[in-house]
Amino acid sequence: MHARPKQAREVSMDARLVAGPSALGTGDEGRGRLRGLGALALGCAAALFLIDAFTPLEGAVAVLYVVVVLMAARAFERNGVIRVAIGCLMLTAVAYLLSHDPLDRDSALLRAFVSLAAIGVSTLLVLRNQATATILAEQAELLELTHDPIFVRAPSGIATFWNRAAEDLYGWRRDEVRGRRVHALLRTVFPDGEAAIRAELMRTGRWEGELVQSVRSGAKVVVESRWSLQRDARGEPVAILETNTDITERRRAHAALVQSERRYRTIFDSARVSILQQDWRAVRAALDALPAETRATLGTYLDGHPEMVRTLRRSVTIVEANAEMRRLIGAGEEAAPPRTLDAYLPDDEPTFAASLAALARGDAFFEGETAIRTLSGARVPILFGITFPSEPGGFECVLVFAVDITERKQAQEALLAVQAELAHAARVTTLGELTASIAHEVNQPLAAIVTNAEAALRWLRRDVPDLMEAASALRRVVASGTRAGEIVSRIRTFLAKAPPPRDWIDLREMIDESAQLLERELARSGVRLMRELASDLPAILGDRVQVQQVLINLMINAVQAMATVDDRPRRLILRVAADAAAVRVTVADNGAGIPDEVVEQVFRPFFTTKPDGMGMGLAICRSTIEAHGGRLWVSGHEGPGAAFHFTIPTTPGRRS
Amino acid sequence: MPAVPVIAIVDDDEEVRIATGSLVRSLGYTARIYTSGRAFLECHDAPVPDCVLTDVQMPGMSGLELYQGLLARGSTVPVIFMTAFPTNRLRDTLLAAGASDFLKKPCDGAEIIRSLHRALHTGTRST
Repeated sequence: MHARPKQAREVSMDARLVAGPSALGTGDEGRGRLRGLGALALGCAAALFLIDAFTPLEGAVAVLYVVVVLMAARAFERNGVIRVAIGCLMLTAVAYLLSHDPLDRDSALLRAFVSLAAIGVSTLLVLRNQATATILAEQAELLELTHDPIFVRAPSGIATFWNRAAEDLYGWRRDEVRGRRVHALLRTVFPDGEAAIRAELMRTGRWEGELVQSVRSGAKVVVESRWSLQRDARGEPVAILETNTDITERRRAHAALVQSERRYRTIFDSARVSILQQDWRAVRAALDALPAETRATLGTYLDGHPEMVRTLRRSVTIVEANAEMRRLIGAGEEAAPPRTLDAYLPDDEPTFAASLAALARGDAFFEGETAIRTLSGARVPILFGITFPSEPGGFECVLVFAVDITERKQAQEALLAVQAELAHAARVTTLGELTASIAHEVNQPLAAIVTNAEAALRWLRRDVPDLMEAASALRRVVASGTRAGEIVSRIRTFLAKAPPPRDWIDLREMIDESAQLLERELARSGVRLMRELASDLPAILGDRVQVQQVLINLMINAVQAMATVDDRPRRLILRVAADAAAVRVTVADNGAGIPDEVVEQVFRPFFTTKPDGMGMGLAICRSTIEAHGGRLWVSGHEGPGAAFHFTIPTTPGRRS
Repeated sequence: MPAVPVIAIVDDDEEVRIATGSLVRSLGYTARIYTSGRAFLECHDAPVPDCVLTDVQMPGMSGLELYQGLLARGSTVPVIFMTAFPTNRLRDTLLAAGASDFLKKPCDGAEIIRSLHRALHTGTRST
């Protein structure tokens, strides 16, 4: 038996035999063999007894019971071995008693004692060896249980142990591997050469690294391999234990990740779209700290807490800005882009608060149009989109994509200008057509009058005046004059009779529409529109187009009045309230206000403060409102800001 | 002694037509009156006039179309246009097309006379 665990065979595929019948995986064949071995041991014991007791052989025959014990050690477990040993001891004693006089203290007695001692000592040794073997077997069993493929090979490369995980990974069964060179079988590729690995293994007793191997089907696997060298008592290498972890999948995933990262990098660096990588963790934390009901109505809440918007803007840090974004804000190689989002946004920028509300609502995406501030302080109009992370941990990387729409804006503005011009032209044309037809109608009789008069003069001035012709020409003058007068009065009647259009006007809808029309103007001027609409507004009766023109006129005036405001947010308040008699619309700004000395004059025709103004706006507004039976006036002109109000009487019987 | 010049007058407005005819006759010319451009162009039996005095805005065929019709048949008779609604563009178009003169209604009798004289003395008579 081999008691020294350092020898290669002990950590072998035959460990089960070393360990006795309790070793792992004893097959039917093995069990039969062991049973035979047990029977043989008992047979031997019986034969020895017969020889010892009934033959005249003088000698320590009983010492041969040691062989029985050794055989029993192979066939039985600990208790069986002890029973066999006790049996052998008893048989020795019985044989001695049968063949010798117990009172003789001769050499036979001594031989009997030697035999008993030999049996006892060998039993103890066998038992100890069996215990060691059991531990080894258990260890081998652990190796079997591990998920990592493990094999042991002799320094020559011949496999001596091959666990189940190795069978699973490589596809080779242990009996197929037996006696073969492992690395030849697996076609192992050694990145640094096998010699270098062996050198390190011999020097330090260990080696770790990655290997590429082929499994039975031919597929390649990448393994993380750890080698340990076993030496015997003399220090000679006896075995190498290799533990391999299959990292093929991990490798593939890593490669995919690297690929993905490279792709992202390429997009980030070379995109013609501006990209800002931002860290929103502080924002997320701040929103999560708010009560749920506040989060549900965050937009309204933030309206009342501008300082919170400001704080959150400062808490968004810029992780990285791509080249296009740096170009957009005018940051070159030397001028680093600003560190927080706050620096990118003009004061009182409205879409950030809106994006917070969207985030609080749980939206995955937010997009909008705004202006960002360049390093030189200029404003660049952009379209942008924010993708919010789906998992809470992702807020350290929030990507904002932006496109510079300066050119588009300019094109849009040019288009709007053209549209305005066209509208103007259309109006002028309509007016022109009307004028043309009036002119034609009136000028024809006038032409006839002038020509007839001239002809009459000519007939009279002839050498022989033709009185008949002159008289008929003058009669036609009278007729044409009468006709011209009729035409003028007909036109007047026609104009007076045209009834002003009367529609039901839904003020809420009209205000939404007006706000939409002025959306760009408001955004460009950095004006925030605040609507304060009473919940129950009656519909009013009037000329829809005219009333809307009054409203838009007042709103544009308000925006223009705030153009010079830099020390406070520009706010335009649209308030609509109603009582039993009338609807009252207020358009208030917080701009420069109206000086006292001119407040009485603003409604007079041709009064203007604008360099290119006609001074007709408010005068026409007032006459329009008065034509609707309402009033238009101004209040709060002492500043800051002014408020224009108009009323339109309600007509009973309809609500909007 | 040259023959009495013939002036063709085309106008859809009866009062203007008659008044212009009276004025032309008072000057000693022969006036031939048409109620539309088409009536004038389709009247083949009358001799070719020495000058055409036509309104611009007329239903059916406009003064410009009348003029284009004359040019199309190779006529070089001078054409004076009169309109109750003159615009610079119309004026430029007509003069560029070769109109003899462009008068706005109501126009001074003296102006019509000056224009007629100019047309008759510089215009090439077509035969």
